Amino acid sequence: MTVHLLRYRPWRGTLRGPSAGIWPIGRVALQMMFRRKLFWATYALGLMIFLLFFFGQYTLSWASSQAGDQEVRIVGGMKENPRVLVKQLGENLKLNGKDVTYANFFWYQGYTVMMVLALAGSLLIGNDIQHGSLPFYLAKPISRWHYLLGKGLAIGIFINLMTTLPALILFVEYGMLEEDYFWNSGYLVLGILGYGLILTFSLSVIIIAAATWLRRTVPLIMGWATLFVFCRFLASVLVDRLHYHPRWRLIDLWNSTYLLGASCLRIPRWRLSTGAQPRWYEAAIFLGAVCLICLIYLIRRIRAVEIIR
Amino acid sequence: MPDMPDLLDSADSSRRDHTLDLPDGRSSMSFVEENKTRIAAPYARPAEDAPLLLFERVSKWYGPVIGLNQVTLELRSGITGLVGANGAGKSTLLRLATGQLRPDLGSVHVRGQDAWTVAAKRLVGYCPEVDSFYEEMSGRSFVECMARLCGYAKQEARRRTEAALELVQMEDRADRRLRGYSKGMRQRIKIAQALIHDPELLVLDEPLSGIDPVGRAELVGLFLRLAEQGKCLLASSHELDELEKLTDHVAIMAHGRIAAVGTLTQIRDLLDDHPLSIRIDADRPRDLGGALLAMPDVVGIELTDGGPIIVRAKNPRRFFKEFNGLVLDEGYDVRCLETLDDSAHAILGYLLGGNREA
Repeated sequence: MTVHLLRYRPWRGTLRGPSAGIWPIGRVALQMMFRRKLFWATYALGLMIFLLFFFGQYTLSWASSQAGDQEVRIVGGMKENPRVLVKQLGENLKLNGKDVTYANFFWYQGYTVMMVLALAGSLLIGNDIQHGSLPFYLAKPISRWHYLLGKGLAIGIFINLMTTLPALILFVEYGMLEEDYFWNSGYLVLGILGYGLILTFSLSVIIIAAATWLRRTVPLIMGWATLFVFCRFLASVLVDRLHYHPRWRLIDLWNSTYLLGASCLRIPRWRLSTGAQPRWYEAAIFLGAVCLICLIYLIRRIRAVEIIR
Repeated sequence: MPDMPDLLDSADSSRRDHTLDLPDGRSSMSFVEENKTRIAAPYARPAEDAPLLLFERVSKWYGPVIGLNQVTLELRSGITGLVGANGAGKSTLLRLATGQLRPDLGSVHVRGQDAWTVAAKRLVGYCPEVDSFYEEMSGRSFVECMARLCGYAKQEARRRTEAALELVQMEDRADRRLRGYSKGMRQRIKIAQALIHDPELLVLDEPLSGIDPVGRAELVGLFLRLAEQGKCLLASSHELDELEKLTDHVAIMAHGRIAAVGTLTQIRDLLDDHPLSIRIDADRPRDLGGALLAMPDVVGIELTDGGPIIVRAKNPRRFFKEFNGLVLDEGYDVRCLETLDDSAHAILGYLLGGNREA
């Protein structure tokens, strides 16, 4: 019988604290997300939306630079300067590097983010609890909070890869196409980062709480769809058709994040093209309350034995 | 938290720690020594100041159900087997020892530190029973990730991963995805991740489950060598035969309590209600039977025509001493002498169910 013994040399270094365990947990979680072929379809959708914005902006800017000063005949015999036409088109399509461009980009990317999170919630957290992988983590020198932070980090990185980073690329792109754009619209960077931060925090907390509660993929997808599709539909019916107070739109959580993001980008409420809206601070209070409930649930849950099974 | 006065108001509640009330109301046994049980398992090193693992009157509830009931236990080194029926509280005890659960009452300490703390967890390696990994990962990545969680820098984590994989003889198969691993390979990976930080206390939940006989022998050898090095192993197992190869020190759990702790021989000796059965194959069996019946510790014999004698004796130590004298004085030719019911199986059966069905 061959039995070797550990050949560890004495460890002379300083062991890192439990916080150092957050990144490995997050990295493994990200690896899990990027190894699933199913998810790549949604990544492709997200990339398509980004490319639409990217080349849309580029094309309109290029068209504007190519247009001469001579007026051209348009519908009904009217004449118009092509530069003005292109500018008008850019504003209508919201592909002109303005605040609404980024708000729209976040809004559309949200569909992709929501789909992936619905699928990934059980993969990242639910399965750990459901199938008993959690003892591997919890027996290591980290606390439950480090585990949850690691998972939250993965979700946060994913959200920012899908939204904030491409939005910043769009900002840089437009800045390279337009003179003085960086100088005049520098505040938009903070707005983009703020929007990304709001999405990161709120969605991470909500998905972790939902995955801890529902665990399995199908119930989680159903719960997620209820939260972000049914509630949105309900809010729309209540406010737009039944003419309830716009505060009822707060139950549409994605819209609430949009309102907060729009306020980060300094977009006034009247410029939002999504019907009657509550005020941004009302959305902040509502979203904050939802996140607080999720955090309280997590605090109670991770103290309970059920998380260990 | 549910009311628990009946557990605490007894003036002698500490004596309950290792006492089992047998189901049919027969006498119970106790290994209590001054409120705590100190286990001097094989390969024990000189005791250090703080015990490696100390349970002090620990109780744990799962809602209205009590999982662990006033358990006091102290481990210092060596291998200790943890046995008991399903639902006896073994897993709860292991989870408390590894800091995954907090006791509702009492305290669990590892080298004097609360088992819940990071400092205590650095001293403990845990090999859980479940083998639910991330199936897409390779064994090497998984073990390395666990090393990173222990606080090692990347390079050191890799070095330790290789050492641990070599130790469990998985170094050449570690790049395959976990999805394709056999049960035995998954078990080895679990042991590797438990050993990655060179823990002083190794907690093993069903460590030999699903491993082929050759692999079992290798792992048993590995555990014995680790114990020789001075590490403390707490192994829960239903494979009593394999557990007996590892150690004869066991903690027997029943109904959330530690029913008995000690060597199998010690425990067997105290089972007064179950006299030890001994098969003796000797010449002149009738004469020998008559002589045996005259012994005070023999409660019965069973004679077969020309075959071996089955003797049932209380107080086995005294019986064997007197039996030796008898054989030497009378010149019996004893060809075979074996005890029939002092195995872990039998003891567990007697303790838990009053028969040999463990």
